[in-house]
Amino acid sequence: MGARQSEEERKAGLSFVIGTEKVHVVILKAQDLAQRNSIIDTMLNLPSLRSTYQLLYLAVPRLLGATIDSATFRSHGIGLLLFDERRIDEAVTPQTARPGIVEMTTRTQEATIAAELATLKSMYSQMEKDFAQLREDLRRMSASEIGSERVPTSLVAPQEPAFAHSVGERMGLPSYFSNNPWLDVLSKRGRTENDLIAG
Amino acid sequence: MRDDREYRSHYTFAMDFGTSDFKFGPITLGEAPRIVNNRGYFPDKDSVMYKAFESTSDVIVGDEVPLYLQSAEELSSRLVYPMRNGVIDKSDDQAWRVVSSLTSFSLDAFKPGNNGFEGYYVVASLSSVSPRYMYEKLMDIFKTIHHGKVRAITVIPQPFAVAIGHGVTTCVVIESGHGNSQICPISKYPVRAAQVALNRGGGDANAITSEILKDTGYGDLANEEAVVRKVKENIGLVPADLDSAIQETKKSPRKVRATYKVPGTRVEIDLDKESWTRFLIGEYVFNPKHEIFESYFGRGMPRPKDVKMGDTVFKGMLDFGEAIIASVERCPVELQQMLYREILLSGGNFSWTVPPKLQEIAVDSPTKIRMLLRERGIKNVSVMMTDSPQFSVWHGCIIYGFAVPENYEWDWQRLEGWMKLSN
Repeated sequence: MGARQSEEERKAGLSFVIGTEKVHVVILKAQDLAQRNSIIDTMLNLPSLRSTYQLLYLAVPRLLGATIDSATFRSHGIGLLLFDERRIDEAVTPQTARPGIVEMTTRTQEATIAAELATLKSMYSQMEKDFAQLREDLRRMSASEIGSERVPTSLVAPQEPAFAHSVGERMGLPSYFSNNPWLDVLSKRGRTENDLIAG
Repeated sequence: MRDDREYRSHYTFAMDFGTSDFKFGPITLGEAPRIVNNRGYFPDKDSVMYKAFESTSDVIVGDEVPLYLQSAEELSSRLVYPMRNGVIDKSDDQAWRVVSSLTSFSLDAFKPGNNGFEGYYVVASLSSVSPRYMYEKLMDIFKTIHHGKVRAITVIPQPFAVAIGHGVTTCVVIESGHGNSQICPISKYPVRAAQVALNRGGGDANAITSEILKDTGYGDLANEEAVVRKVKENIGLVPADLDSAIQETKKSPRKVRATYKVPGTRVEIDLDKESWTRFLIGEYVFNPKHEIFESYFGRGMPRPKDVKMGDTVFKGMLDFGEAIIASVERCPVELQQMLYREILLSGGNFSWTVPPKLQEIAVDSPTKIRMLLRERGIKNVSVMMTDSPQFSVWHGCIIYGFAVPENYEWDWQRLEGWMKLSN
């Protein structure tokens, strides 16, 4: 094929250069199959290699061939090699990736995200200032009401839960988490002594 | 750095040490915990069963206990229920060994794999009348047995857990079990100074049922606790007004006739003309001061006394209305109205049913409590049973363990916070 082994940093597997294209083969050996974490780790790292190599293969023992869905590899442009002691077969042909474009796209995205973060940060600072001003105004109003009037029940009543509903639903927690105001109350334990009405 | 909430959505663990049952398990169990009896058996190490199972344990807990039980005579010395009254004596070594064994057993039943597990956040719950030394002993047990399985431990009172599980931040929780009852105001924290305890529970309803069986010719059954409890559950009623209920029953005895067949036997109990006595069973739980009970006390039935257990005085003869008012009036005035609006009943001793034909003279527990309070001038009250009386404590513990920040450290004054065991 005219391939030569790449001199780049040896990741787990083999790297080649064919013409101008860089090829990398990640090898999952028979002994790796016994380690669930090893398989998961290998599979999760595959997409990240697409930005470095134009052609990417995963090589697995032939006995896994029947269990692997080739369509998944095709949709991600990753090639699949099945090997045993006698031969190696290409089960899925990889698609050529263009690392240059991927890098440029990534750099553009990073700049956009950084700009948006800066905007959010300045909005948050402004909100903090507004909130501090509101708190100060409320304190002045309360101080100006002199007398033995009882605190209205509405100000002493439990507050609406800030995140009870969304936390429960998002994290798939049991039903008794749903709309439970204690999630908000307990999450603030230790932050303020104003919670303590009697005890 | 791991996401704390994500971690706790897997590794929060709760333990509810009830008077009869020990309910335990991680948050991933969902709605219901695992349940075993809150008891331990100290086997005879020379017994065939002990040798056959090759057990090296000094205390047997969990589902294996029945395999080791031998003669009935041995049960009283070998079978230990550590929390029958909610309080364990400081020097009761056997009881503490049972608690230690149950704690180990529960953590071993749910050993996670090594997928980033750094120990459970464990929330244990005890009776609200548990003295400080029980918290100390329980924490010491965890320090001894955890071996990396526990990241942090905390202990909360059961009524507090009930309020959390039920989702109400300002309320009065009334917990009534076998041996005693506790009235506990909650306002984002337990209002410990306002707690009132009663030396009266389901066991007292059993006692009056036993007397009724003796009086009506079933004396041979009166000494069998399991039968007495079943009779109580099946024929006992709570009257709206005891005097009216007795009059109504005497006018129409057939309407109120109480019969119960013991399952699997030919034994059938029929109170016939004495069926009015079924109202005494429920009334005694809520108000033992009615004059009708004096004749039973005179004949030897123990009168509920004021007793001190640990740091708490348990009142014997207060009715539930007086007890609730006494508790609420220890709280700030601004809080009292809100407390009366949310009274939660928890515990098996409040599980009284009302037969459809008797809805005019029999009531359920929430109605009875409302009536007792109205008699004393407290109106605009809301009384309800907890949604899940069997699991509300465990639910509350799970929520507490999930939500309280790890940097809220244990404080012996406040009796709240996390005691960290692993880094």
